[in-house]
Amino acid sequence: MNLDTATVARWLEPLVKRPEEIAEVFAERRREITIDWRDGEIREARESLTEGLSARWKGLSGQRLAFVSRCDEEGARQAVRAVQREIGLSPLPVKPARGREESAAPAGLDAERWIKRLPALFTRHAPRHRLRWTLRDVARQVIPARGDASVFARRLMSLDGTFTAASRLGDEKRDFAFHAPVGESTAEELRVALTHAGQPRDTATPCGEGETDVVLAAGCAAVLFHEILSHPLEAGAESPLSGLEQARLGPAEVEVRDDANRLDLFGGYERDDEGVAPRMVKLLDAGRLSGRLTDRAHAVAGAPSNGHARRAGPQEAPLPRGSNLLVGPGHSTADEILRRLSSGLWIEQINGGSVELASGRFRLYFPRARRVRRGRMADECGAGVLSGEILPVLRSIDPGIGREVRACRALAWCARGGQVVPVQGAAPDMLVRKFFVRPSR
Amino acid sequence: MNDPGFDRVCEELSRRAPGEWELYQKTGESLDLEATVAGRATTARREEGWAARWWEGSAPRFASGSSPENLQRALAGVSRISTSREPPPAWPAAKSPPRKASGSIEPPPDLFEELQRQVSAESRGEALLQGLAVRRGASTERVVNGNGLDVSFSGELFDGHALAIGRKGSRACEARVVFRWDQGPDLESLARRLADRATLPLSDKPTPVDRGEWLLEPSVGAALLSALAPLFCEDTLPKWVHRAELFAPLVTIADDASADALYDGEGTQTRRVAVVEGGALAARLHDLRSARREDATPTGHGVRPSYRVPPAPGPRRIFFETDTPVPQRELLARVRRGLFASALTSPARFDFERDRYEVEFTGIAVAGGRAHGPVAGARARGRISQLLRRITGLSTDRHFFPMPYPAGAPTLLVERTDFD
Repeated sequence: MNLDTATVARWLEPLVKRPEEIAEVFAERRREITIDWRDGEIREARESLTEGLSARWKGLSGQRLAFVSRCDEEGARQAVRAVQREIGLSPLPVKPARGREESAAPAGLDAERWIKRLPALFTRHAPRHRLRWTLRDVARQVIPARGDASVFARRLMSLDGTFTAASRLGDEKRDFAFHAPVGESTAEELRVALTHAGQPRDTATPCGEGETDVVLAAGCAAVLFHEILSHPLEAGAESPLSGLEQARLGPAEVEVRDDANRLDLFGGYERDDEGVAPRMVKLLDAGRLSGRLTDRAHAVAGAPSNGHARRAGPQEAPLPRGSNLLVGPGHSTADEILRRLSSGLWIEQINGGSVELASGRFRLYFPRARRVRRGRMADECGAGVLSGEILPVLRSIDPGIGREVRACRALAWCARGGQVVPVQGAAPDMLVRKFFVRPSR
Repeated sequence: MNDPGFDRVCEELSRRAPGEWELYQKTGESLDLEATVAGRATTARREEGWAARWWEGSAPRFASGSSPENLQRALAGVSRISTSREPPPAWPAAKSPPRKASGSIEPPPDLFEELQRQVSAESRGEALLQGLAVRRGASTERVVNGNGLDVSFSGELFDGHALAIGRKGSRACEARVVFRWDQGPDLESLARRLADRATLPLSDKPTPVDRGEWLLEPSVGAALLSALAPLFCEDTLPKWVHRAELFAPLVTIADDASADALYDGEGTQTRRVAVVEGGALAARLHDLRSARREDATPTGHGVRPSYRVPPAPGPRRIFFETDTPVPQRELLARVRRGLFASALTSPARFDFERDRYEVEFTGIAVAGGRAHGPVAGARARGRISQLLRRITGLSTDRHFFPMPYPAGAPTLLVERTDFD
């Protein structure tokens, strides 16, 4: 990013006359490499290099945002001028048109190393596949009218698609999704995930319909809490949790928090999209409803933004959103949880979920599960939908929580109001009573 | 070509893949007005994007950027990756006069209060409008290729989404509805859809029938058509598809975007394609690559949802047609015992591999051609092959809905549907 922060801040100054007014320029440069693999061959490769910035003003009477798809001083001037005109201020003088300023070349993505490494991994664990691999490098800069400017960057990797794996009665197509920030251990973690996903399994029979107890294992309880706590606790959201601050909603053993500082997870960041350093927010503290996810617009006196303003890109205004959903560990082993379940479903993968905030009804989609009978793993069952309502489900959480917290690498993208942002989570194995389950097809 | 950046990229592509390249440029501008009880938010967007596709060493590659300079960098980066070979498509060749966006865009109207009043009236005070976002936009696209093609075309947009919440006692229900207006605001139909979706699920009444006729409101029919669209773009059809009798004989489905744009995202001229004619699968939608693979003629359905992704075959403006439309009232009269699907409560799920579908909706029970009270939630499910052959009536009230491309459907009548 090569915006002159002092100059841009000076342009923004006249926009903020009252303490409650917010003005900032947000710039983003994004580089993405996407490769489609089919059975060890690269079928398609693409690269995208985009940049853009927006100026925003927010006051008591509303919000104005102007976006341009360039990331230089001329672009910032255009965007600030557009906002100034909208709120009735005299705009900055027009400067003679100049060509685009040459932006600094973005850092190399180190894609070649991955492109060499991945075929060996695929050949060994999933030789027949249709997988899409994406490497994203995103750099963002926020220049506020008041306060310090900030620059931050993230490098994220995704691999998702399908592959053919062995089951006891022949081959079957399985879904695979792995999303993680690029780090030293990412390749090894991917190898372990692929190995686990490719293990032989029994052929699944359709799952039944009705009320059942369910263990959400292998970190996928994070998806449940993302839907039933993170979304309803986004500032400004109206849900069955509204007005229940400090109410006990679940067992005292349940601790749930949102922590964007966990940079080893897909949803982490050092600064939010208003330039605020994120703070860990306790959502459920010893079973009691605790905090809310706020941005600067929803901050109240004595409680400033806790750094959860997020945007899909510079063309959008920030919204308070969740980042990494973390559930605290308990003391139970997997065997103990299995015994407590006695009879029900053991689910290790959830493909997606949704929540309707007004009613509090939610759904989670799982591709397969294992039946548990008399405290023992039994046969496999196929895809299904878990549904329920927020408050009854929170009350139905069993206090015997697993002791090992695992990241849910399949959870990665969350959409709200058309804006998709990276999220993730980690959770121990958890037993939830009386979910409603039905086969999905 | 007057743009030096554009010319530079063309030269680079000609050098890398003589004759086997394509360059796409899009400029767009939009104004959004988001209205809530709390206030108004406006967003002005001005976006430019470039995308290139080329066959270097007989292998396809794609790069995109928000400026010619960024595109050139991306192009250099992706050239280093070796991909498997694929024959290049037959590039179209045409010329059209250059087009420019039609000046400044008129700001979208503030319709919040008016819509709020209509939603309250439609729902007898049970539903309240929470938010309304309206967008007006215009864009210009240009496609140039190594075969001498140089066409440009422009389009306009007037769409948005609305959110209402229905309340009854302690229970609440959310309704989110997307809309697209081709001929000015249509608040009446939008208010009705919002009110139905927000209040019908609050009745708590389950479906009173487990099998019967299924009457689909145009928005539900359009969602079904959109869920079926992959059938018209796939290289290989599922085993259960019988081309000659895929749908009931009265059904015709066509795609014709000529009113929206003269060319598709690859510069192929737009034309009407009847994918289903008299119930039989008549044609499929092709882009350049799929046409090359199947040795067919491109149909003008190379769709670019954004400049950041390569074009792919897809519908552009798809709709139901019939030679024998009947008024909606007549379709209702034909329902002896069944359900009227007023709105979907979750996305329709179509599993083409297993020939199964599942549609969850809220609506009204119908018996003897008369409404018999709301149904909070029902699910229609069964075989896709049977669903398509059991469409026995199409009404005259066709409407288009953003899926995100326009999909048009009238009220549909399907017989012998299983509900639970």
